Amino acid sequence: MTVSGEFIAFLALALVAIIGGVLLLNLTKVVHMVVALVFTFLSIAGLYVLLSAEFLAVVQVLVYSGAISIIMLFGIMLTKHNDEDDESPSVGRWKRLFLLLGILAFGAVFYIGIYDLDFGTTPVALHENNAEQIGMELFSKYVIPFELMSVLLLVAFVGAIVLSRKDDDEKEAEKE
Amino acid sequence: MVQDLLHSSPGLLNFGIFFLMALTFLFVILGFVTYAILAERKVLGFMQGRIGPNHLGGRWGLLQTVADVLKLLVKEDLIPKAADRPMFIIAPVIAFAPSFMVVATIPFTDKLQFADLNVGLLYYLAISGITVIGTLMAAWASNNKYSLLGGMRATAQMVSYEIPLVMSGLGIVLLTGSMNLNDIVAAQEASGWYILWQPIAFVVFFIAAMAELYRVPFDLAEAENELVAGFHTEYSGFRWAMFMLAEYVYMFAMASLMTVLFFGGWLPPFEFLSFIPGAVWFGLKFAVVTYILYWFRATFPRMRPDQLMEFAWKVLLPVALANIFLTALLKELLNIF
Repeated sequence: MTVSGEFIAFLALALVAIIGGVLLLNLTKVVHMVVALVFTFLSIAGLYVLLSAEFLAVVQVLVYSGAISIIMLFGIMLTKHNDEDDESPSVGRWKRLFLLLGILAFGAVFYIGIYDLDFGTTPVALHENNAEQIGMELFSKYVIPFELMSVLLLVAFVGAIVLSRKDDDEKEAEKE
Repeated sequence: MVQDLLHSSPGLLNFGIFFLMALTFLFVILGFVTYAILAERKVLGFMQGRIGPNHLGGRWGLLQTVADVLKLLVKEDLIPKAADRPMFIIAPVIAFAPSFMVVATIPFTDKLQFADLNVGLLYYLAISGITVIGTLMAAWASNNKYSLLGGMRATAQMVSYEIPLVMSGLGIVLLTGSMNLNDIVAAQEASGWYILWQPIAFVVFFIAAMAELYRVPFDLAEAENELVAGFHTEYSGFRWAMFMLAEYVYMFAMASLMTVLFFGGWLPPFEFLSFIPGAVWFGLKFAVVTYILYWFRATFPRMRPDQLMEFAWKVLLPVALANIFLTALLKELLNIF
């Protein structure tokens, strides 16, 4: 393995992604956690660029670090935002052992799975007109799954509105 | 020159060259911001029957902003005791960094561009969305009710107006068949400027862009008389300057983007005028767009928050969607493009 610019960039991005994930789990304030998550999202977008998936990277930034994290921040700020993690409950010795075993097994499975993985020869022209290629594939081969996804999203959307409306009605009923 | 560099194989030398160029460009933008502020104050002054800054640096007040910046740099840097310290410190950085990242993709002339991205337009819109997180973090970390209210307003406004902004840009992407800003300018060479083909998109884009820049009539986020100063109430000195800088760099970027999308970038308006270099045309168009932004600031009253949201969702979004539909019809039926 040679140390190329791509390798350095990959290491840096992967490191930021992992550190963001670890901080997300370890920080105590909820708002800090979301900010850590934003860093993870951004570095994942960077990894997409390294894989010459520009369109996907930009959409990742637009949707995940733009829209979703802002909605999360809004949700947290408007609800019980001063919540802090209590001291983690004491973990028994056996539980720790099993945890370690689990992590080792997870690492081993992924090492074996990834190390010799061969996707076959990848097409070289992926980075050219990325968005156009995705559009062609999506609207020629995968139209039905794509449309089904949009229906699913619509259902989720309507469901969210119905759920939040119900809360309001109940509150009004309580007032009366 | 830059195009050759962009397509050459990467190496340490390239990295150094690009680093130096980016640094130079940063100072060029800082210079622009300095004089954009002075120009804004002057234009506002003339429109309101005043003179504007006229003491420092000759009768045009040429050194006024420089003095203001110096004052900001030596000001005491306050961090409130109850503030969320790490977030308070990192927020201005997160707000400013994307504003400089977006200018990388804008083609100033056919030779001067820092990144030739295939998804240029989308890149601009996506990266500029990160600033909102910085704003919201600043508002939250300040631990101040005015900050929080201002931050909430700013975020809601940014998120709502981003949608008509993207949707109105789609008409242009449809006509060009590409999101690359170079291709968009090249396509305008053949068909004429897109402001002629996409007038509805231009109006929607311009209004949404002004909302994204928090300029009057959409400056509710920092409405002085109700919210003190909005999300940066608790900030002072250099950290506050970072927010102001981000705002003006976005103005630079947005005016450049509008020039590229609707006014044909570096292209001359008529063929016989093509002896004047592209950079001059770009500069002229850019100056006109910036002037209109100042002009609007002097002539429009501020909107109410409820009007603001209704306007984005009930007026701009349907109009932008109708424009996409119309553009698709135009493209299919008339076959001009």
